[in-house]
Amino acid sequence: MRRIFITVIGLFLLGNSIVAQDSKPGKTQFMVRGYGHAGLDYYKTPDGKDISFVGAAFSPIFLFKQGNRFMFETELEFELQKNELEIGLEYANLMYVINKYLMVRAGKFLLPFGTFMERLHPAWINRLSTKPLGFGHDGISPASDIGIEFRGAAPIGGTHINYSVYVTNGPRLKDGSEEPDEAGMLNFQNYIDNNNNKFVGARIGYLPLYNSSLELGLSFYTGKVGDQGSVYEDVRAFLWAADFSFVKQISPIKGILDIKAQYNQTNVSDAYYPVVEEARDSANLFTFNNLSRAYYAQLSYRPSMAGKTFLKNLEIIGRYSKLKTPEGSNWGSDVSELTFGLNYWISWRQVIKINYAFINSEGGPDAEEGPQTQKSNSLFVHWAIGL
Amino acid sequence: MKKIILIFTLSLAVAAIAIISSSCTAQREIAAQKSGAELWAQNCIRCHNIPSPPSYTDVQWETIGLHMRERANMTSGQIKKIVAFLQTAN
Repeated sequence: MRRIFITVIGLFLLGNSIVAQDSKPGKTQFMVRGYGHAGLDYYKTPDGKDISFVGAAFSPIFLFKQGNRFMFETELEFELQKNELEIGLEYANLMYVINKYLMVRAGKFLLPFGTFMERLHPAWINRLSTKPLGFGHDGISPASDIGIEFRGAAPIGGTHINYSVYVTNGPRLKDGSEEPDEAGMLNFQNYIDNNNNKFVGARIGYLPLYNSSLELGLSFYTGKVGDQGSVYEDVRAFLWAADFSFVKQISPIKGILDIKAQYNQTNVSDAYYPVVEEARDSANLFTFNNLSRAYYAQLSYRPSMAGKTFLKNLEIIGRYSKLKTPEGSNWGSDVSELTFGLNYWISWRQVIKINYAFINSEGGPDAEEGPQTQKSNSLFVHWAIGL
Repeated sequence: MKKIILIFTLSLAVAAIAIISSSCTAQREIAAQKSGAELWAQNCIRCHNIPSPPSYTDVQWETIGLHMRERANMTSGQIKKIVAFLQTAN
């Protein structure tokens, strides 16, 4: 663990020293970017209160550029989880520019399934301290996968269109043999292909206004998810997402209005799973309509045209998000979250966020004796920086 | 399969609307004449705050430009103008 950390620090220093000494740069360029955050979290639930300093999270991004067409990029994640340092590989992919309208990526890459996980999740970009419900590594939709992707963008008159088509190993269906409570869930962090079927996905985005302030996007991702040779080998999943973004500085309101929204839906075809207590007893199987939905809508306003610097750096945010997982499954739940935030931007890439969230949840893995409704509140004070 | 066809149909509809709405010559000319500064102000803000030009060196902006072309799915023309602007304004 220590060796890995020292290696990362070494690469970071090397990257910076190369840049510092570079009076006449060559074709090979190396750069370290990334982000980090730290803060204080407070949770109030029916079970009690919990307040704790969190963070010490560090996500370095290494960019290796060779010439004007080739780049290798990778992002690591260092985070303290339950007194242990966890290290993750967020992405590691090669990228080559084929022509003005097309580039290819191969390796592990962030999937353009909607825009949140690919573009908006880093702590210094995400306006709030948390991700919307159902988004992220434990969400109902993918964040990254291993495969190959073709992507690009093109002007169409005064407007723009962007596109992406990709093939990946795809997620794996949890059949309940390892974790009976999660039978029917998709494991998106399954990077070894569990069958010979590849997932196919695409996103198309359209910016209809000449100032690029509005973007509308549609995505899908589909394939087989069951283990090869198992009774689940023909089980398929179909996921789709719609995303919306409008960002513009508007003079009459003397500031920047930022509206973002995304809707994700995950549908897994019918399958029979073992009842929890009677695992692997074919006489005790159950099924359910395996449909999950998650969405969020976020509005933020920053008075960027105000006279005073202090006011210019403030930003107010409101976000509503909802996650609904299948009724009849062991993990069925209906959770909604309303979050308000007040941010202060120290610089263009450094922010202090104060957020308060109201969460209503019904069901979940612990609701074996019928639906349970829980209300909880959370306060987050986070400091995030882009490097 | 029906759902895939539906998604592709919707995508084609979006593309058709794009082509129709972009037929306005005036809008096309305005977009083509945009400076790097305009593109920097209008595009970076779609995801994060507008970056300050002095934050990085000329060489670093080139590397970031390629990274952002891919991440934000921008056109080569847009990113070239933005990088050129940042390299003159830093």
